[in-house]
Amino acid sequence: MGIESIIMHAIPDPPVPVPVRPAQCFARGLLGALSVPGFVLVATFVGFGGLLHDLSFPLGAGLLSTLLVWALPAQVILIGGLAAGAPLPALAVAVCLSGVRLMPMVVSLMPLMRGPRPRLSTELLCAHFVAVTLWVEGFRLLPKVAPEGRPAYACGLGSGLIALSMAGTAIGFYLTHTLPGPFAIALLLLTPISFTILLVRNAREPVDWLAIVLGAGMSPLAVNAPGGLDLFWAGVGGGTLAFLIARYMPRRRT
Amino acid sequence: MNFYSTELGAMLVVVLVGFLPNELWRLLGVLFGRRIDENSVWMQWVKAVAAALLAAVVARLLLVPSGALVGLPLWLRIGAVASGIAGFLLLRRSVLAGVLTAEAVLVLGGWWLGV
Repeated sequence: MGIESIIMHAIPDPPVPVPVRPAQCFARGLLGALSVPGFVLVATFVGFGGLLHDLSFPLGAGLLSTLLVWALPAQVILIGGLAAGAPLPALAVAVCLSGVRLMPMVVSLMPLMRGPRPRLSTELLCAHFVAVTLWVEGFRLLPKVAPEGRPAYACGLGSGLIALSMAGTAIGFYLTHTLPGPFAIALLLLTPISFTILLVRNAREPVDWLAIVLGAGMSPLAVNAPGGLDLFWAGVGGGTLAFLIARYMPRRRT
Repeated sequence: MNFYSTELGAMLVVVLVGFLPNELWRLLGVLFGRRIDENSVWMQWVKAVAAALLAAVVARLLLVPSGALVGLPLWLRIGAVASGIAGFLLLRRSVLAGVLTAEAVLVLGGWWLGV
């Protein structure tokens, strides 16, 4: 090793950094989307496409929601709320509350995505791709990429995941009603099933479990809330109650 | 008929009611970066509300179904989700295993009932 380093220093090579071509990194990112988490994601979007068809929501707008919203919980709240006749301002608040979890994801993944020369426009583009799957896969894949190529790689990975998910949405939209009964139902319930399991997976502290139980428990009680605000009340009410119980109960005991 | 039952109206709703309120958090994540304390009391409340909201959405889809799901008995819908949670917890916390368990219960149950 010593000799090699001496030779390296003896021959004064011009400092040619390994060229990191953004297009190449983008393409590698696209390929990185073809993974197990990517395919699970596609399956859940097939379920979303089926839901769109079931609630007779137009496919074009459904595809646009996958491209622009790119967060399945928000999309399901939006489409489900529209079908239930919820007022638009209440839906906007519900969607906004459901998106809160994206912020800590962006904050924690951005140091890996922004590369050595961060630019605001690049960061905003990278941030758009952040959702659960990219967040998990980003932490796994991005450290293996040269820092200069990471923004392009992240965009490639995100674009690949979105493209797969849009294909899944369209397939689900056209496929669901042609499938035999049990399989169509299995597809429609794929979204609630995967959400439930992801909620259980992410629940670590008592407050998380309380929020799940109270949110789910208050939902049927609030179904007939005036103004179609039932999701809003179950979410804000159940979440606030869970927060207060977790925060003040242990103190009372000790 | 609502205006979002047309393609263009629905796209407008997706942008204004879906995209903008959701993208706000990605924008804030970029702008504030590390200055946000993930463990602050405010963030704890916000996370609890986000989890409860998602749970409420799931419960609504399961308990007050629409479309093709109406034909499925409540016990099968709940049983499938419960078996999915059990599969996830028993099979090394694998999301894929949990989803497949729930779907298997659902398809077999639906087939048995002749849905």
